[in-house]
Amino acid sequence: MRVADLSFPVVLALICAVPFTMGEFTAHQLGLFLLYGIVAQGIALCWGKVGILPLGQSLFFGLGAYLGGSALIAYETQPVVLYPALLGAILVPAALAGGIGFLVFRRQVGSGPYFSLITLALTMLAYQVALSTDWLTGGFNGLSGIPSLPGTDPWTNLYWVIVLALILSTTVLLWITRSPLGQLFQAVSENELRMSFLGYDTAKLKALAFAISAGLAGMAGALFAAQQGIVTPQSLSYLLAGELLIWTALGGRNSLIGPVVGAVLVGMLTSELRNTVQSWEIIMALLFIGTVLFAPRGLAGLTERFLAPFAQKTKTDRDDLRTVDRPLVPASLRFKDVNVSVGAVNILRGLTLDVKKTGLHCVIGPNGAGKTSAFNAMTGRLPVTGGQIHWKEREITNLPPHRVARLGIARKLQVPAIFPDMTIGQHIDIGLWSTGLTVSEMLGQRAFRRRNEILDVLHDLFPVLGDESKRAGSLSLGHRQVLEFALSVIARPNLVLLDEPCAGLSTEETAELTAAIRQICRKFEISALIIEHDFSVIESLSDHVYVLHQGAALSEGSLEDIRADTTVQAVYAGGRK
Amino acid sequence: MSMQQFTVQNLATGYGDLQVLQDISFDVGAGECLCIAGRNGVGKTTLMRALSGELPLISGGIQMQGTEISALPTNRRHGLGLSYGPQDSVTFAPLSVKENLTLHYQDQNLERYEHLFALFPRIRERLEQSAGSLSGGERKILSFTRVMAEDAQVVLLDEPTEGVAPENIDHMATVIRSTLQARHSVIVVEQNLSLIEAIADRVIVMDHGAIIHETANGPELRNEISNLLKV
Amino acid sequence: MESSVLFLLNTSYAVLTLALVVLGLAIIFGLLGVLNMAHGEFVAIGAYCAFAVQSAGLPLILSLPLAIITTGAVGWLIEASVIRHLYKRPFDTLLATWGLSILLREGIELAFGLEYRSVSEPVSGSVRLLGVDYPIYRIMLMVALLIGFAALYVWYRRSNAGVRVRAMIANPQLATIVGIDTQKLARLAFAAGAASAGLAGAMLAPLVRIEPFMGIDFLLQSFFVLVVGGLGSLEGLFIGSSLIGGAESAGSTLMGGTAGYVTVLLISILFLWLKPEGLHARR
Repeated sequence: MRVADLSFPVVLALICAVPFTMGEFTAHQLGLFLLYGIVAQGIALCWGKVGILPLGQSLFFGLGAYLGGSALIAYETQPVVLYPALLGAILVPAALAGGIGFLVFRRQVGSGPYFSLITLALTMLAYQVALSTDWLTGGFNGLSGIPSLPGTDPWTNLYWVIVLALILSTTVLLWITRSPLGQLFQAVSENELRMSFLGYDTAKLKALAFAISAGLAGMAGALFAAQQGIVTPQSLSYLLAGELLIWTALGGRNSLIGPVVGAVLVGMLTSELRNTVQSWEIIMALLFIGTVLFAPRGLAGLTERFLAPFAQKTKTDRDDLRTVDRPLVPASLRFKDVNVSVGAVNILRGLTLDVKKTGLHCVIGPNGAGKTSAFNAMTGRLPVTGGQIHWKEREITNLPPHRVARLGIARKLQVPAIFPDMTIGQHIDIGLWSTGLTVSEMLGQRAFRRRNEILDVLHDLFPVLGDESKRAGSLSLGHRQVLEFALSVIARPNLVLLDEPCAGLSTEETAELTAAIRQICRKFEISALIIEHDFSVIESLSDHVYVLHQGAALSEGSLEDIRADTTVQAVYAGGRK
Repeated sequence: MSMQQFTVQNLATGYGDLQVLQDISFDVGAGECLCIAGRNGVGKTTLMRALSGELPLISGGIQMQGTEISALPTNRRHGLGLSYGPQDSVTFAPLSVKENLTLHYQDQNLERYEHLFALFPRIRERLEQSAGSLSGGERKILSFTRVMAEDAQVVLLDEPTEGVAPENIDHMATVIRSTLQARHSVIVVEQNLSLIEAIADRVIVMDHGAIIHETANGPELRNEISNLLKV
Repeated sequence: MESSVLFLLNTSYAVLTLALVVLGLAIIFGLLGVLNMAHGEFVAIGAYCAFAVQSAGLPLILSLPLAIITTGAVGWLIEASVIRHLYKRPFDTLLATWGLSILLREGIELAFGLEYRSVSEPVSGSVRLLGVDYPIYRIMLMVALLIGFAALYVWYRRSNAGVRVRAMIANPQLATIVGIDTQKLARLAFAAGAASAGLAGAMLAPLVRIEPFMGIDFLLQSFFVLVVGGLGSLEGLFIGSSLIGGAESAGSTLMGGTAGYVTVLLISILFLWLKPEGLHARR
């Protein structure tokens, strides 16, 4: 049982009691704020779970309201057409949000404020459009005389339809949160780059969350039209969007129920007291600022602490053993005359490099030789301005990171990139799932039971990985390096790029990790390209050594060849820890 | 007892409720180099952060030339002649290399860096580039350059050689030795035994938040430390 | 001929005053990374300062120092009490300053009421310029702004202060390590941004309608300019002001007020999507 499971029945019982205890007029008013609560739940999904903050959610609420209102007016007497049309009030906002999200996120990695500001500007645009297109939206006066849903009355039984919608929305969101999809959402919010190096299309994941939230907003909007009988541009306004956001923040952005409680408590109290208590708005503003400052998890964060002792964690056994495929084609990688420039500086200048055989390859070179930049160019992190990169006879120049990863190239970063607030077990899941999940697996529980042979070997080598409920953020640097290494090889890539895997490790830890890299790569036929300065590592991990200097290849061969090469000696002399 | 350049007495510190270091005491004289060795996670960086002022002390004291500095914030300690090159995030990433080197001076003169540019020409080549676009090793060199040009009485360096190529490590040793000749004190946390051999007067070895060994530099140093770290 | 002179004067006036209004938001966003949603309320406070000075029967020029001191002090207090806790939490600063904007707006409403106020121009009448009559106050304002911006530009180019603030934002720990008093610097920057908005409000007070909700328009305009012009440079600020000011006046002249506004919105959305760093990004 989790906290959400405990609080929802209580809240639901209270909501159901209102028409009987406080009368139908209050229930009617409450219904309106329950609808806003559904929109706030969607905002919380985006903001709390995925880390994207939509500032203009009223766009989708208003769109749903206009679409729903028009459908109700046009097809009042034709239920066969009406219900599909009402479904459109959910699907159109969802599709629009998904499209906008995908277009924006595909161009912009990260979840900076630009997306938020775009949603705000779009809302303001929609508001202007709704105001000025009289023939379509009724302009300033809006659509009026909207009938309620067939067989319902806005003042009596429509309330129960709204309660059902709330139950539906909560169930959908709860389901997502507990499924692999929810875990992927959380991982995106914690470390998007790591996700794309694992082959996940983070733009699609974020757009999906945004679409779900817009669909919920659209549903609430359509019911709003039925309940209020009128839809004006106010339903699209950024002022409403702002209020929705404030309710979400006060109720708790990481919670499912919190936003609903926030909308009801704050929204209803405000509409009651705004005109009677003179300084009400000032009190609300202070309360809001206080929440942002001192209780970022909102009201739900406070009750969670209270309810936490009642929540239990269930653990799943990993009993679904998957075999790992061996590669059919050897790992062959070719850089041909690759140029990369940042500003006026040429970082790679005609780098040509050929990795033909499966095995362990080291890349060495003085600081600034372009080693990490070569990795970045290969994995879509730096734009290649000239030349080509081929992988298994296929050109991969300038492919985005997740596409490169899906072709079997994994990458471990120099400073270990992990998901700090997630457990070791969740890391293992995400690594194992990177080979692909079907839609049913993404929404089911079965995928949590996966393991594979590589995981078994990793468990033997690194007992720390067995402590699956441990938070990754509490691990030492050495264990983080191990965890990220595990994450990058667990799905058996063809080639793994390791950027100073032993950086910051002691001599002893270095020896352990080096031995593990060798054992896993040999056993599962994973090729590795390793950037390293430490010759004790290079000695034990190099079938072949490439030397880079000033953005180009200087020499290559066995370690003995390199040591005998006088041009290499001239620019580079290996050290030892 | 003669007044030492830098003295640490019974220092204890940590993060929140967690005490990481206990009862650390040492002193460093003018023109002396103290190296601090130890496995990862034993508290070396925590010690440096406490000395620089990033981390408040739980108890104990730090004196620089007789002045108690343990209550002063980092920027004040810098003003008194304490320069510090941290282990992580060592540059202002969005700023240019040149801005990184000049922003804490009134003038934007690069002359004070000439002798360092001669040893690390890469830094001069990249002056107009943003520091964030440098490689890890280059950033460490940039930070080292910034620290050493400050010409401070006491220099703290936390793993200056991480990711730095061997020939540049040699150049770093040269710069540190000339600072020592100018009677300044240097405290270095380091994993690279070659650098320690090249610069240290004394070495202390830490484990589990305490000093477990102290020794002078000499021909047996490498074996001595390697044995201690093996455990 | 006369209409084109008038168009030129009007456009210059629009661009210069827009740049003045944006400056405060640009300082706070560009230097501290805080998108100050209460920016418009600082402009409003400045305008109410002018109203208060004139109601008290004092010379209007006194409203400038009063506005600077009042908004600077409010900014100082807000940084010390709220913003200081929120650097590195961009979403939260957005929300907290949003809350602050409501707070300030309601505060203004309590003090001055909801009704529209106006301030009369300190110098009335118009002057004949290249064949057209143009209000003297506007001409004076434009000249003062030109001189002011030129002085600011020289200072900005020559001083290290801007670099230090950016350094502090990028890596506050390292900034203290190299000897910068980061707390003081951030507070100064925020207070300066607020004071600049207040000054804009006082200078524009005779030309706008003054009411508690007036801030939102200034916030939005300024925000679009930042989006288009890019952050962290005066050049970007002027490019943005010209583009937004120009687009709005061209759009409204050709197709009416709503069309001008919609044009500006569309331009902003395109920039946010395709070129979020703006036309004139930081070096």
